[in-house]
Amino acid sequence: MPSKFESGVRRRHCPGLTQTVQASVSFAPLQSLFGIVTPSGVHFERHHQGLWDIDPSRHRLMINGMVKSAKVFTLDEIMRLPVVSRFHFIECSANTAVEWGNVAVPTVQYTHGMISCSEFSGVPLITLLELAGADLRNGKFVLAEGADGSSMTRTIPMSLIKSGELFVAYGQNGEMLRPEQGYPLRLIVPGVQGVSWVKYLRRIEVGDMPYATKDEAIHYIDLQPDGLERQYTSIQECKSVVTTPSGGQLLMNKGFYNITGLAWSGRGKVKRVDVSVDGGRNWRSARLETPVLSKALTRFNLNWVWDGKPSIIQSRAMDETGFVQPTYKQLRAVRGTRSTYHNNAIQSWLVQDNGEVKNVQLS
Amino acid sequence: MFSFRNAFFASALLACWGAAHAQLDAKYPGVGRVATAHEVAAWDIDVRPDFKGLPAGSGTVAKGQDVWESKCAQCHGIFGESGEVSSPLVGGVSPDDIKKGRVANLMNAAYPGRTTFMKVATLSTVWDYINRAMPWTAPKSLTTDEVYSVVAFLLNLNGIVVDDFTLSDQNIREVQGRMPNRNGMSTRHSMWPGNEFGKASKPDTRNVACNTRCSVQLERSNS
Repeated sequence: MPSKFESGVRRRHCPGLTQTVQASVSFAPLQSLFGIVTPSGVHFERHHQGLWDIDPSRHRLMINGMVKSAKVFTLDEIMRLPVVSRFHFIECSANTAVEWGNVAVPTVQYTHGMISCSEFSGVPLITLLELAGADLRNGKFVLAEGADGSSMTRTIPMSLIKSGELFVAYGQNGEMLRPEQGYPLRLIVPGVQGVSWVKYLRRIEVGDMPYATKDEAIHYIDLQPDGLERQYTSIQECKSVVTTPSGGQLLMNKGFYNITGLAWSGRGKVKRVDVSVDGGRNWRSARLETPVLSKALTRFNLNWVWDGKPSIIQSRAMDETGFVQPTYKQLRAVRGTRSTYHNNAIQSWLVQDNGEVKNVQLS
Repeated sequence: MFSFRNAFFASALLACWGAAHAQLDAKYPGVGRVATAHEVAAWDIDVRPDFKGLPAGSGTVAKGQDVWESKCAQCHGIFGESGEVSSPLVGGVSPDDIKKGRVANLMNAAYPGRTTFMKVATLSTVWDYINRAMPWTAPKSLTTDEVYSVVAFLLNLNGIVVDDFTLSDQNIREVQGRMPNRNGMSTRHSMWPGNEFGKASKPDTRNVACNTRCSVQLERSNS
């Protein structure tokens, strides 16, 4: 357990954001974390129909649909198969959603706290599909279904399954998944928004068309200025945020500070992170700490001497595809302010002359 | 076009697939078992946009109102307008939207809120979710005909079907053709990680990593 002196470092709910605790969210304390791994006890949470603690001896995973023979696996059987362990970030596509129109919340825990990164351990989904004799030629989509109260479902792209990237995890950060993260089985969908990482995974169906489930036909759709809803938006595009100094913190006096933050991309590795302390006029490349892994959080650091004058601190990430994190102006120019999901704009923190740090947006 | 040549390749492929399957089974013997037909029927309840998986049945608007008032209205409001728990299901759609399949209020940034029937394009989604997840306190407790009737009631509240309508597996495809936002979804974006929806497009923002004396607007907003 952490020291009693660290009791302020915990995930937090946002009062009034949701109406029930069974379908709610809590945010990870990014401002207090180091490196790239999020301790499981402060990992962000999102529940769609309840937080369950399922008896693993009674849990089953079924593979059916376009398969030679539908199969049922126990957890013990899945744990007998060859295991992979990989670091990946998981980000809710509604991370930073409240900031689309204007500044709404004060701290990085609330602006960006629906992201976490862990080492997950489990079995590639392709292995289980092959064991059931799945038709990988005509089966272009799979449906993943959880064992929460709603049997929550999402459509998963076959291309990611075939690549071997997707896996069915039972381990997280060296221990079994925790109940709030889907114990005993969770689908790991690297680079894709958290809602697709179906918790309490109990069924995979192979099919030849997308399923338009509630969470991809009513929610998790991105309204564009022309009134069209973008459907099946899944990839979390390149994004970064400075976690210190960040909103709500106080610089006690001028002098040396280590600027630190996190960067990530759903399309691969982070290639570069630039930091500005003058609101985006001039940028310096930050140090990327190792490891720099595909579709995982990457930690960056930069030396900074604060002269005591007002300063606007920003970070701008670039991924290995060459994509550069957009400004709010660029993002709003194409998507307006009503798309709710996938806000990956550059974040600005204002260090005031009294040392207080505030969340601001540059128009 | 059918030819013996294609048939030969198809059977060869099938043979390879079968062989690979048997090989993997041999590679991991004793892991997993064949699901029984009863197990698959019990678990596989999803309904797709083409209504594959939809069980036969029917329900009237009137019956739906009875079910609604006893099992749904506490959270969703008597008229689906929302309540303590839920966001609004009903409202914001017009007869013209039903004709065109696009909800005009989605283009109007000043229109407050987005109801479920303003957004949803596929009737299967509504049927499937009520069937698998509702009522909130007792998911999967509604009978098949109760699900049909609740869906009929919601369609009626949104002006999509008439008061004496009976929704069934026989006419649900016709009703799909009246969904107000049936033409309102787009998969033309770069955020699906594969080519299952066609050729992927390029990301819609194109920032350039300028390093010195970059042009910025330093006027702060909403701080």
